[in-house]
Amino acid sequence: MKGSFFRSMTWLHTWVGLLVCWLLYLIFFAGTISFFRDEVSLWNQPSIHNIEQQTDRIGAQKQQIISGVEYLNTQAPNAPNWRITLPEERVPYLTYGYAKPKEPEQRRASFENTRLDPNNMQPLAPFTDTRGGNFFYRLHFDLHYIDVKTARWIVCFASLFMLIALISGIVIHKRIFKDMFVFRANKGSRSWLDVHNLSSVFALPFHLMITYTGIITLIFMIFPYPAQTVYENGIRGFFNDVSPSSPVTESLQGTAPLVPINTVLDQVYTKWPEADITRVIINNPHKAAATIMVLVSPGKTLRDQSPRLIFSGASGELVAQTDDELTGSKALYESLNSMHTGRLAEPLLRVLYFLGGIAGCIMIATGCIMWAKRLRERMKKNTQPSWGLKLVEGLNLGTLMGLPLATSAFFLANRLLSKQVAERADKEILAFFLTWLCVFIIAFVKRDKLQWCVMAAINSIACFSVPLVNALTTQGNIISYLRNEQWALFMFDSLFLAIGLLFLLQTEKLRTALQAKKPTPINTQEQKV
Amino acid sequence: MIALLPFSLCLVAFNCFALAKFNHFKDVFNKRPTQQQRLVLLSVAWISILLSLLLCINELQGYGGLQFCGYMTLSALIVMTFYSFLVRLTKLFNLLILVILAMSTLFFGLNGL
Repeated sequence: MKGSFFRSMTWLHTWVGLLVCWLLYLIFFAGTISFFRDEVSLWNQPSIHNIEQQTDRIGAQKQQIISGVEYLNTQAPNAPNWRITLPEERVPYLTYGYAKPKEPEQRRASFENTRLDPNNMQPLAPFTDTRGGNFFYRLHFDLHYIDVKTARWIVCFASLFMLIALISGIVIHKRIFKDMFVFRANKGSRSWLDVHNLSSVFALPFHLMITYTGIITLIFMIFPYPAQTVYENGIRGFFNDVSPSSPVTESLQGTAPLVPINTVLDQVYTKWPEADITRVIINNPHKAAATIMVLVSPGKTLRDQSPRLIFSGASGELVAQTDDELTGSKALYESLNSMHTGRLAEPLLRVLYFLGGIAGCIMIATGCIMWAKRLRERMKKNTQPSWGLKLVEGLNLGTLMGLPLATSAFFLANRLLSKQVAERADKEILAFFLTWLCVFIIAFVKRDKLQWCVMAAINSIACFSVPLVNALTTQGNIISYLRNEQWALFMFDSLFLAIGLLFLLQTEKLRTALQAKKPTPINTQEQKV
Repeated sequence: MIALLPFSLCLVAFNCFALAKFNHFKDVFNKRPTQQQRLVLLSVAWISILLSLLLCINELQGYGGLQFCGYMTLSALIVMTFYSFLVRLTKLFNLLILVILAMSTLFFGLNGL
């Protein structure tokens, strides 16, 4: 390592950042979209676009649960598990589901779901097979094609590198407050450094929080040793200990009629009069070991796990519940988790989270570009770029331009693929990765300013196409969303238009730069003479 | 509307931080700030930002802390946009901030009564 402390820190910041920046960009990009997971899923599912918000959502919950139990009792009395998922502010429909018998190779049972419009309790048209926002949510930490455990280890290490890069970045940024509001345009790599610094400093508390809490969400995977020391069955035993369960009912054998759900709900409302119930899960209905778990929304409290009450399905007696007052360590873990997932966030905070995420993406993107740009600037004329520089430039173009294009392709595939296509959800994901692969191939063949310009133009067209194709293939469009106050859908389409416009500006800027570089015909003639 | 006061305080704070710098002060007032003016601006900035944090925490506890971080990002972004790209409009921007602060304080006061 280099001599002085600052030089060592600069070296650390550069290499720790550069090694994982493309992966970090993917993680940040998918994570940022995941803050609007439900809104993305809503857009991807046109059959629920026109469900109106209930006037008294919480007031209607009791009747919805009673109807759900009656429905499931007639449809699948022998199913091992029933689930009633109630509408929330961001998920407008009601779901009654029961577990189907497991296939021998299945780890978890699949569910047969009936979705209803909560306003008239009529079944909704069959859903389009899509992963919606859940795709980006899982991509954020499961990296899709990689084995889940390996992917999480990779993400964990990348997050650790990010944290080191952030801290070393703060140390090396000597003029952190002096340059706080300064952006010097058209100054080559100086401008890129300014954007890098600004995007880092503005959202620094967010960057530190999201990176640190990201590591904490996977802490029991990377640091299982205390649990392994204390519990015989390791981490599983630890989780069993901290989650409410009912050992009394689990051991019971035989059948028993299910207690009327009213009696259970009365107990819930006695304990929590303002309860916003999100889900009711009934395990082993009509068995002596039956349990009824009622989950309520934690609201704005910094708590990731929904508070829950577990009742015996045979007697209606309360057998287990989450602690009303969390212990210090549990409260800390829960709050850090909830800060990362942002599930607690209401629209304003969600937008601020999104803004922080975009700042993170800009910070990482400008970091990668700056490294390559500086190396290019330092290169002597008539020297060939090194293999490393070519690789970095290829990865830059492939990732920074490829991911937005792949995202547009994912949404376009959602609208253009026929509903009858087998494994449709997987095909949408395939469209995402194939598009990304194509950009990578182009990037590794050539990655000059011209390719950046072409990619920006394609991205711009793709972004503009998303609301356009949506308008042509569904009954709604950006204007109707505005008229009907369907804000989530309106914002989705508007965001694509805004990003399309930004890409258009980038295309224009790059085109101007390319034209300025080209020798004029007069100059060429002079040269020939 | 209640959220407007902590946000406008945050905006005032970052604007004062920016004005405490020679270049940005010159952009608005066409002269360099005196040492005393800089001190006043920095004091107002720190008081505003702490007030904003206190209001957020008092209103929403931990959730408010998160909201405060978001307000800081947004405020700094707005201030940077004006002082880097819309320098001609900085005077108007300063005036606008004061109007927003006055309005949000009024709303806050009326809600508190």
